Amino acid sequence: MSQSDRMKKIRNFSIIAHIDHGKSTLADRILESTQAVSKREMEEQVLDNMDLEKERGITIKARAVKLDYIAPDGEQYVFNLIDTPGHVDFNYEVSRSLNACDGALLVVDATQGIEAQTLANAYLAVDADLEIIPVINKIDLPSADIDRARNEIEEQIGIVAEGCPAVSAKTGLNIEQVLEAVVRDIPAPKGDEDAPLKCLIFDSYYDSYLGVVVNVRVFDGKLRAGDRIRLMSTGKEFDVVEVGTMEAFGLCRCDELCAGEVGYITASIKSIGDTRVGDTVTLATNPAKEALPGFKSAQPMVFAGIYPADGAKYGDLRDALDKLQLNDAALAFEPETSAALGFGFRCGFLGLLHMEIIEERLEREFNLDLITTAPGVIYEVKLRTGETVMIDNPSNYPSADMIEVAKEPLVKASIITPTEFVGGLMDLCQDRRGIFNDMKYLDSTRVELHYDLPLNEIIYDFFDALKSRSRGYASLDYELKGYEPSKLVKLDFLLNGEQVDALSFIVHEEKAYSRARRTAEKLKENIPRQLFEIPIQAAIGAKVIARETVKAMRKDVLAKCYGGDITRKKKLLEKQKEGKKKMRQLGSVQVSPEAFMAVLKLGDDD
Amino acid sequence: MNEIRGFVGKEGRPKNVGIYVHVPFCLSKCHYCDFCSVTGADGSKKDAYVSRICDEVREFADRIKQTGELPQADTVYFGGGTPTLMSAEQFARILEAVELNFGISQSAEITAECNPRSADLKSLSRLRKTGVNRLSIGMQSIHTRELKALGRIHGFHDFKVTVCEARDAGFDNISADLMYGIPHQTRESFCESVETLASLAPEHISSYCLTVEEGTNFHRRRDSLDLPDEDTVGDMYDDMCEILTKYGYHKYEISNFSKEGKESRHNLKYWTGENYLGFGSAAHSYFDGVRFAHSRDIDAYIEGKGTIIDVEPIDKREAMNEYVMLGMRLSQGIDVSSFKERFGEELLEAFGKIRQYSPEFVEISDQKCRFTEKGTFVSNSVLSDVLDFGE
Repeated sequence: MSQSDRMKKIRNFSIIAHIDHGKSTLADRILESTQAVSKREMEEQVLDNMDLEKERGITIKARAVKLDYIAPDGEQYVFNLIDTPGHVDFNYEVSRSLNACDGALLVVDATQGIEAQTLANAYLAVDADLEIIPVINKIDLPSADIDRARNEIEEQIGIVAEGCPAVSAKTGLNIEQVLEAVVRDIPAPKGDEDAPLKCLIFDSYYDSYLGVVVNVRVFDGKLRAGDRIRLMSTGKEFDVVEVGTMEAFGLCRCDELCAGEVGYITASIKSIGDTRVGDTVTLATNPAKEALPGFKSAQPMVFAGIYPADGAKYGDLRDALDKLQLNDAALAFEPETSAALGFGFRCGFLGLLHMEIIEERLEREFNLDLITTAPGVIYEVKLRTGETVMIDNPSNYPSADMIEVAKEPLVKASIITPTEFVGGLMDLCQDRRGIFNDMKYLDSTRVELHYDLPLNEIIYDFFDALKSRSRGYASLDYELKGYEPSKLVKLDFLLNGEQVDALSFIVHEEKAYSRARRTAEKLKENIPRQLFEIPIQAAIGAKVIARETVKAMRKDVLAKCYGGDITRKKKLLEKQKEGKKKMRQLGSVQVSPEAFMAVLKLGDDD
Repeated sequence: MNEIRGFVGKEGRPKNVGIYVHVPFCLSKCHYCDFCSVTGADGSKKDAYVSRICDEVREFADRIKQTGELPQADTVYFGGGTPTLMSAEQFARILEAVELNFGISQSAEITAECNPRSADLKSLSRLRKTGVNRLSIGMQSIHTRELKALGRIHGFHDFKVTVCEARDAGFDNISADLMYGIPHQTRESFCESVETLASLAPEHISSYCLTVEEGTNFHRRRDSLDLPDEDTVGDMYDDMCEILTKYGYHKYEISNFSKEGKESRHNLKYWTGENYLGFGSAAHSYFDGVRFAHSRDIDAYIEGKGTIIDVEPIDKREAMNEYVMLGMRLSQGIDVSSFKERFGEELLEAFGKIRQYSPEFVEISDQKCRFTEKGTFVSNSVLSDVLDFGE
């Protein structure tokens, strides 16, 4: 590998951190100090430009920006800052973004120390062979403990933290040390400009004018407008319309992208599905012999049915999902029909957060009211016929007598917590059918727990329970381990004698009774009394294991209607009618979307 | 009276109108009350308020005259607040203004609301002489504990005294208010209230279920109120209907019972879509197909500032909705042919959904459409489904 003079002046790096440790704020300060963005123009957290990201303080999609930095010695450098998603659901995307870099800034909150995602991200960076520069942040806070943070970094991650920058991204204190460390410690890219083209796709998004805009890191070769490119995982070919770089405030066209550089490609690509993150772009005329390693297609792990609260909005929901999928290759969906909820979609997500984000975006950006069924995982069921089927929808779960063996996905989970909460969290994991692997003391106050946990227990409110049992201090990270045989049953619910398919879920045998009882109780609490009595039953097959009754309504009347204020009374009825419109007819029973969601969102401790 | 006009039947403006006068003065505010009222108003404020009402009566009449024939008042209703905190002279001034500007028919029903002990024999006699011929007294309960919880400042004894004095003063048409679904109330305690009241034989009884309205003392304490549950309240209603029937009352509206011929003619106007004009703060009007109201700002009202708000012309569809919503409150229900006459449409075609509720909740015949006993107390569920508010 050679290194041109141009390359010597390039630094490709990303910032990694646990949520809320200040990654985005640090990125903002770097943008400001390199004058890519003037103070006046500086909108908080330029890189996170989805509203949702700003609110949740997380980065959902990867983003990159090119910055010009003039070092104190007068030398001019090009920084390519590649932002990464900060959540376990997006581990694969993180790993691809990191692979596009040569180094990473590992931000650690001086008041919190290392968290589960700090470790997970640091390991990903180590895997990607990156030079890691620790940055201790939030030193302006009174509770900051720089030494402790340094020690933890050295002991837990095994990298030298002595002399690493200690900053306040919020106030801008010591930011110049970070920039100098980037120049000094992060290696310049290597690569051969004359070799066949090899670009790594680390992000892509759909733009209604340009088509798909592909963000790439060039490892070898050169790329210009007019070149015919090939995507190595699919073999699909496109003609490049434009290449350029990502500046702080938009795309900037250029003549060519060379080895070592980060930039974008447009090539009249219609579907983001063609430009998978991790794929390699090469030239059709002189293709690389082999693709860059590590490509995987996104695998949804969590599934749920998503239905419009108003059945008439089915078309709108489909359009919205189509639009979101333009920018989210990991989102999978296919139409499904529920007797209870009508027409909707079975959607696959990378994880719970991914699911919540999609739900929220559908509701906010597309103004849709949704009913989402209980999230489930994908089960592997071997039938007595010898056939093996993958089940992502409880409605399709085979009856017990057809099943030879049912398997469920397990994850390897790592939980970091202050020692005082260890007992409670071990109870929680135990309760969630966890298998204890080991426990490691990070220091005298913090512990890392390792468990194998069924994924379907994690998606069932585990994160909230974890937070409530650790007063918000514990952090969680997990990765898929594989499938294990399990005693699973399908739990059905009947309202007024009619089964409501959308309420069915798969659950471990031992949990069936308590889940059945709690769900039946929740249904009773949330189904408003109606003109007739409604029996609620929970059943496994034909066996009813829990029952409740919603009594018939006794009173729903405007007792007082005089004084001539008819308008107000009319409005009450109008509101009631509005409410009814949103109701779902489950057989003969009306249930509001809110009630439905309340039933599906069972709390841990209730 | 407004340029804006809503739907008016082909007969045009009716010859009669109901007059409502809101009197927003009270000795103290009850915990459940969200009506417009103030405590501690002095004599001069009351005087100024009455003067403004008189002026406004004249102004309304003048404007109404310009757009057609002036209707005559056949009911006048002084509501509150506590109207009997006004002097007989003040009542007289307002009635004179109505008489002078609209005319009051010979047989007019003139009602004043009254709280126990807010008037004595002397003041009631003088009140009777002004022409007020019907008294509506707020009893609410016979139980001290329940009355206290409501924030009422009288006891049951006070109520009895006031009824006797009203009789002595010459009132032969007395209505009493009851409440159920209130704090600490049980089915038994309510039945006792109903039974005791009925034995005092007022000509009319209104009985309202408590609704906890926003902005009230009760609303602030809504989670700690000891209220009977929905089933108990349902039982209370059924018990009440039974007891009052036994005592010779007939239920002519969801919450109103009367001896034969003693229905509240003024309140019937609200439920049958007739015209009424409201004077005073927070008073509501329905005239020439338009609903409007005064704001609750008493001082602004006194100063004669434009306090008319919520002007809403009622188009035909709305008028039909209201006709059903209000007409179905009446025990006699809706007269199918009257509906057709008024709107030129068939009731069961315009509100076809109502058939789904027959015969369990709604009784439908060629002549009538009305709630069954069972349907009455869940009427909102049915009405909210049946009415057509458009998109």
